[in-house]
Amino acid sequence: MDELLAVVGYKVRSSDMAEVAQKLEQLEEAMGNARDGISQLSNDTVHFNPADISNWLETMINNLDVPPPPHPPLPQQHSDYDLKAIAGKAIYTTAARVKPSPAESSSSTRPLVLVDSQENGIRLVHTLMACAEAVHQNNLSLAEALVKQIGFLAVSQVGAMRKVATYFAEALARRIYGLYPENPIHHSFSDMLQIHFYETCPYLKFAHFTANQAILEAFQGKNRVHVIDFSMNQGMQWPALMQALALRPGGPPAFRLTGIGPPAADNSDHLQEVGWKLAQLAETIHVEFEYRGFVANSLADLDASMLELRPSETEAVAVNSVFELHKLLARPGAVEKVLSVVRQIRPEIVTVVEQEANHNGPGFLDRFTESLHYYSTMFDSLEGSVNSQDKVMSEVYLGKQICNVVACEGVDRVERHETLGQWRTRFGSAGFTPVHLGSNAFKQASMLLALFAGGDGYRVEENNGCLMLGWHTRPLIATSAWQLATKSVVAH
Amino acid sequence: MAGSNEVNLNESRSVVPLNTWVLISNFKLAYNLLRRADGTFNRELAEFLDRKVPSNSIPVHGVWSFDHIDQRTPGLFYRLYLQDSHQRRCAGATVIPDMDKPLSTTDIVPVIIFFHGGSFSHSSANSAIYDTFCRRLVNVSNSVVVSVNYRRSPEHRFPCAYEDGWTALEWVRSRKWLRSGRSESESESKVYVYMAGDSSGGNIVHHVAVRAAEEGIEVLGNILLHPLFGGEKRTESEIRLDGKYFVKLQDRDWYWRAFLPEGEDRDHPACNPFGPRGRSLKGLSSFPKTLVCVAGLDLLQDWQLAYANSLRSFSHHVNLLYLKDATIGFYFLPNNDHFSSLMDQINNFVNPNC
Repeated sequence: MDELLAVVGYKVRSSDMAEVAQKLEQLEEAMGNARDGISQLSNDTVHFNPADISNWLETMINNLDVPPPPHPPLPQQHSDYDLKAIAGKAIYTTAARVKPSPAESSSSTRPLVLVDSQENGIRLVHTLMACAEAVHQNNLSLAEALVKQIGFLAVSQVGAMRKVATYFAEALARRIYGLYPENPIHHSFSDMLQIHFYETCPYLKFAHFTANQAILEAFQGKNRVHVIDFSMNQGMQWPALMQALALRPGGPPAFRLTGIGPPAADNSDHLQEVGWKLAQLAETIHVEFEYRGFVANSLADLDASMLELRPSETEAVAVNSVFELHKLLARPGAVEKVLSVVRQIRPEIVTVVEQEANHNGPGFLDRFTESLHYYSTMFDSLEGSVNSQDKVMSEVYLGKQICNVVACEGVDRVERHETLGQWRTRFGSAGFTPVHLGSNAFKQASMLLALFAGGDGYRVEENNGCLMLGWHTRPLIATSAWQLATKSVVAH
Repeated sequence: MAGSNEVNLNESRSVVPLNTWVLISNFKLAYNLLRRADGTFNRELAEFLDRKVPSNSIPVHGVWSFDHIDQRTPGLFYRLYLQDSHQRRCAGATVIPDMDKPLSTTDIVPVIIFFHGGSFSHSSANSAIYDTFCRRLVNVSNSVVVSVNYRRSPEHRFPCAYEDGWTALEWVRSRKWLRSGRSESESESKVYVYMAGDSSGGNIVHHVAVRAAEEGIEVLGNILLHPLFGGEKRTESEIRLDGKYFVKLQDRDWYWRAFLPEGEDRDHPACNPFGPRGRSLKGLSSFPKTLVCVAGLDLLQDWQLAYANSLRSFSHHVNLLYLKDATIGFYFLPNNDHFSSLMDQINNFVNPNC
């Protein structure tokens, strides 16, 4: 890769530079000649992964139906590179051209975003850091004194800073006194918290929306579809997908849903209840619906044989995971097992949404600092919320995550968030290639946010074919989509 | 038509390194997709295409950054870039700003308020090209850089960008922790403020500096990097260089129509500060010294040279750096002599006693 261009966000191989220059000239000329060329490229064309200039240009050149330039062919024709269009809406690139990116660059990123009130609160941040440092060095008497000081300082703060400091202080105290929180959290309580979180800020809605976009596109032209949801919870993602399928030109496919979740503490069959509600919806919108709820303590307990898969010629499968995969990192080998099961499922698409942060580093202090910055920004984004009960519940929801990241270790520490770059490496190693989310999904997600009351700081960003939602300049969650590396794309 | 296009493209190809040519041509192409004939702007596609980077409190090449959000003005934030050698509190790999202390009690540390370019419509303070440029600027000049994410047109026309510039200036000046300089008593140390900007950013610098001078607010120097000025008249350089080196005159006109109040023409003083509707700065004694960098292949150079001359005629101090073979955007990649010349000049400008 050309290093200077890489630093400013573009991926161009040095050996391809002349070819890319040629494409730029070619496209510029074509835009000048085509009658509505520019408006077509601007309004109708779906753009993907602009960091890869060569492919981006190629897409546009093909969209304008430009004949190849009358230049002698380049020494290296990419005959294995094939670009096929699916119903004018989505364009996939094949595996040969799109390699998973190498391991995340050696320098990690720790974004820091401050608001006015936090400048006064910076002393509080220092004290929190000092306390974490003391805990890390096992200087527990100092840590204890600092935790008390945090308490005093936090009282004089306003807004998000106070709440975040309180949660982190509590987590530190637990660590100091050895009072580890009971795990797992009561499932129905955690579900309820998540519903409030869903209402109060757009993160879950964005996750569901962007994942559904990718699933919809993958299911185009399929008559029988099957979604396997690793993150079933209350099934909030699926009504929207079912409605979109119902409105498909040519009619909806038959829709099968397998919802996977942990057992309920009260032994109630909550997964089945969720399925019933979705079945009722399916009936009102005339979508043929089949459902199975599947209880598992861990996704790693699953085998493909349990899922009653049908032949792929008859049924297309999507695997969906929203904020679940990182939990597997608590046990060695678990995520690798799950990804190999996913391979066996042979899905059309795998949609993954995860927190955009590294809360799984080996060092406690780095983890502490990283999560302090992350949750500070998260809490800041909640401050504009309209409904105060939703807001409080959301804070409790996030507070439990904070407690887990800071106070727990080993198999109990399940909130092992990793960055998009790290997940890319994992998926690449496991035999998957990216399916890019494009400008249409970006635009619709942005419009969705604009409708969301309670704060205009939310931003969608495109990152090498994935979409991220953040607050102002800090990405907080990332949606990516994957397909099997050996899978070829079929045009319709 | 196709033929002359080819000649133009080849000309620009011969004066810049290939990767620079690819970078700037890619922007040009993307920008062509975003401007609509009816004066509207495809903002969603613009944001999709723009390569952004988050701030980073882990120092990279000795520079770390963080963002400060202004919650009163939607979208307005500042990205601050500091060297880790300045006394900031560290914890592990991260730096956390220490807002109780000044930058230095022994040395002067220039604070450069930077306004990115983009013809008032494109780019952001967290655009990768500008994040990279600001980091280099910090290391070259041992300064602190505050990059302003001002509101853009056509959604926010004149005077929004200037207002945001003013807000930024007031904010910077009021930060005790951006002060520096040897001082026996705290009241003597101050924030050593400079302002810098490229293209539309340069234009913003000028207008904010005028207001600062009028209100007695000290700015130590302005750095204008091929600033955006214009007027109704077509200058010789505009005619000669139209379409030759990445820039077309008609596109320049579009951006002015998008920025200026509706119905206004390019002799509006925002665009043409010393033109028929402009005003003299003679007697405005606290107007800062100015470094103007002009790219010799920029079609706007006649306006920029005239700007420099006007400032001189008002008895203000001007350093002119004329880079004969430079195109616009030469400073995005450090792969040419123009880049080093510019950086040397900036360093000497903000560190006059070194």
